[in-house]
Amino acid sequence: MKASDLFGHRPMFRSKKRKEGVLFTVPVILSMIVLGALIFCCVFAPFISPYTESGQDRTAIMQGPSMRHLLGTDRVGRDTLTRVFYGGRTTLISALGVVLISIIIGVPFGLISGYYGGWADTIIGRICDILLSFPSLLLAFIFVAGFGRSQLNAIIALGIVYVPMLTRLVRSLTLVEKNKTYVEALQSCGVSDFSIMFRHILRNSVSTITVQLTLDLGYAVLDLAALSFLGLGVQPPTADWGAMLEEGFTLILMQPMLSLAPGLAIVLTVIAVNIFSDGLHQYLEPIQRKMPSFKSVEARLERERSAQNECNA
Amino acid sequence: MSKYIFKRILSLIPIVIIVSVLIFAMVRITPSDPVAVMMKGKKITPETRASIEAQFDLDKSYPEQYICWIRNIFKGDFGTSFHYKQPVLSLVSSRLPNTLQLVMMASLLALLIALPLGIVCAVNMNRMADRVLSLLTLIFVSAPTFLVGILLMLGFAVKLGWFPVYGAGHNFVENLHALFLPAVALALNMVALIARITRSNMIEQLNAPYAQTAIAKGVPLRKVVMGHCFKNALIPVITVTSIQFGGMIVGAVLVENVFALGGVGALLIDAIKQADYPVTQSITLMMVVVFLTINLIVDVLYAAIDPRIRLDA
Repeated sequence: MKASDLFGHRPMFRSKKRKEGVLFTVPVILSMIVLGALIFCCVFAPFISPYTESGQDRTAIMQGPSMRHLLGTDRVGRDTLTRVFYGGRTTLISALGVVLISIIIGVPFGLISGYYGGWADTIIGRICDILLSFPSLLLAFIFVAGFGRSQLNAIIALGIVYVPMLTRLVRSLTLVEKNKTYVEALQSCGVSDFSIMFRHILRNSVSTITVQLTLDLGYAVLDLAALSFLGLGVQPPTADWGAMLEEGFTLILMQPMLSLAPGLAIVLTVIAVNIFSDGLHQYLEPIQRKMPSFKSVEARLERERSAQNECNA
Repeated sequence: MSKYIFKRILSLIPIVIIVSVLIFAMVRITPSDPVAVMMKGKKITPETRASIEAQFDLDKSYPEQYICWIRNIFKGDFGTSFHYKQPVLSLVSSRLPNTLQLVMMASLLALLIALPLGIVCAVNMNRMADRVLSLLTLIFVSAPTFLVGILLMLGFAVKLGWFPVYGAGHNFVENLHALFLPAVALALNMVALIARITRSNMIEQLNAPYAQTAIAKGVPLRKVVMGHCFKNALIPVITVTSIQFGGMIVGAVLVENVFALGGVGALLIDAIKQADYPVTQSITLMMVVVFLTINLIVDVLYAAIDPRIRLDA
């Protein structure tokens, strides 16, 4: 396989049915495998690993990678790989929490703002303006400062930080959908506004929102790690990729693996999420799809013509 | 034009007021007790507590404290740090040059790398060069700034010894050397974003009818790309860069933490952890005002370039 095939979002299996627009292209499948493996390891960490999250082995501290400890141990003899798995649990669930919070607040606000317009739109727009006048991490800092430093508060803070962007996206989508004939038809049938917004408009804009949410998931992993790295998120001894990076960083000269392992986990996850989101975007928004080349179109027309000739003959 | 600028500044005033209230409220609801932190957990008599509270205006009601804070800001007094017992302004001004230089160097580096990268990708769309560079930008955008910083430090400062491992220099010229690695770490993230935006806008412009006409007429591709398309593709790039520039002031916190640079960001994080009200609220407000000012300047620049914007508003 050529490298160019790997990243061009070409379909893995070519069949007549899905000539154009296939979700499962090679990069997307690769990213799904990586994500799947990561999630599997995190979920089944207690069954995969012979060690526990905080089980200390004082006879083996600060060890390098070996057969017994695949990625070495930290300064109290905890197995690094095991902690990366457990850290993944914390980090991934937190990232999901961030996205969930932003959906719960952002989507209804965006729908209302776009659908009703008027003063509701003005108020929601102003609130978004205010939240967007902070650089995003700064807003998270100030929320954490208010709520106190902990994992839950970091999730809530970041969740709120992600709301305005999502609200604006949903609002702009709603503005487009609102003027379509089906909405007019529903209104004339006397369908309630609530039902029009959440059952019809939302469903018709769900593809774009999904792409944005997968992107947000990647950013959430990064931002959560940043908060934990600064000591504003997850507090040790809980395993978390950002917090582990911070812990390992102080010992980097003695045992680089302690901070590199969680770092690599973050990078892998975010790359996989981004590729998946990119593939989804190309699949769901046909404008992004690669145009078939002139040659292939010509060849297809030729094939069809000859097939027709055979039928006629 | 001056009317447009005046209008934009006027619209910022209510936002800044609400933001200051939000910051003030967030800082006050923090669960940790500033007096206890100041006394480092020692037991104190109620009289001592009362005198400390009186010294820092903590005995007043919240609205009084807020008005006091705002009134003093207009006199050029941002309050006195609980922890350092120094005026916030002098704390910030002694740390500001480093942070500012770091952010400037990083932005300059990012633009110098990202713009050519984006153009090369766009011109070679979907060819090998584009794929490789796109993959690289994907990795950079997915890697947390602090991890990149740690890796650069391990490689170039510890192993090769080309740069100091941590700490900043004493003057501008020394800092050019000392801040190089932190600036690269900060820039790489931004490179990825700017390069992606440049790429997608350049592709759009290259496919625009005017560019196609120019190419069809036989204008050299280099002239079409640099003379026509690049100028048109630049506007969204400027937007993203300016927003990123604001974000970088906060992103610098992470790099400052890794390289122990002791900039404004590090001061803010310490202040949040120590419930140092004056420092937290004043630095946050300053950062927001800087962020808004940058956005304002960009908006005004647009209006100067594009009459549609200033007539529309």
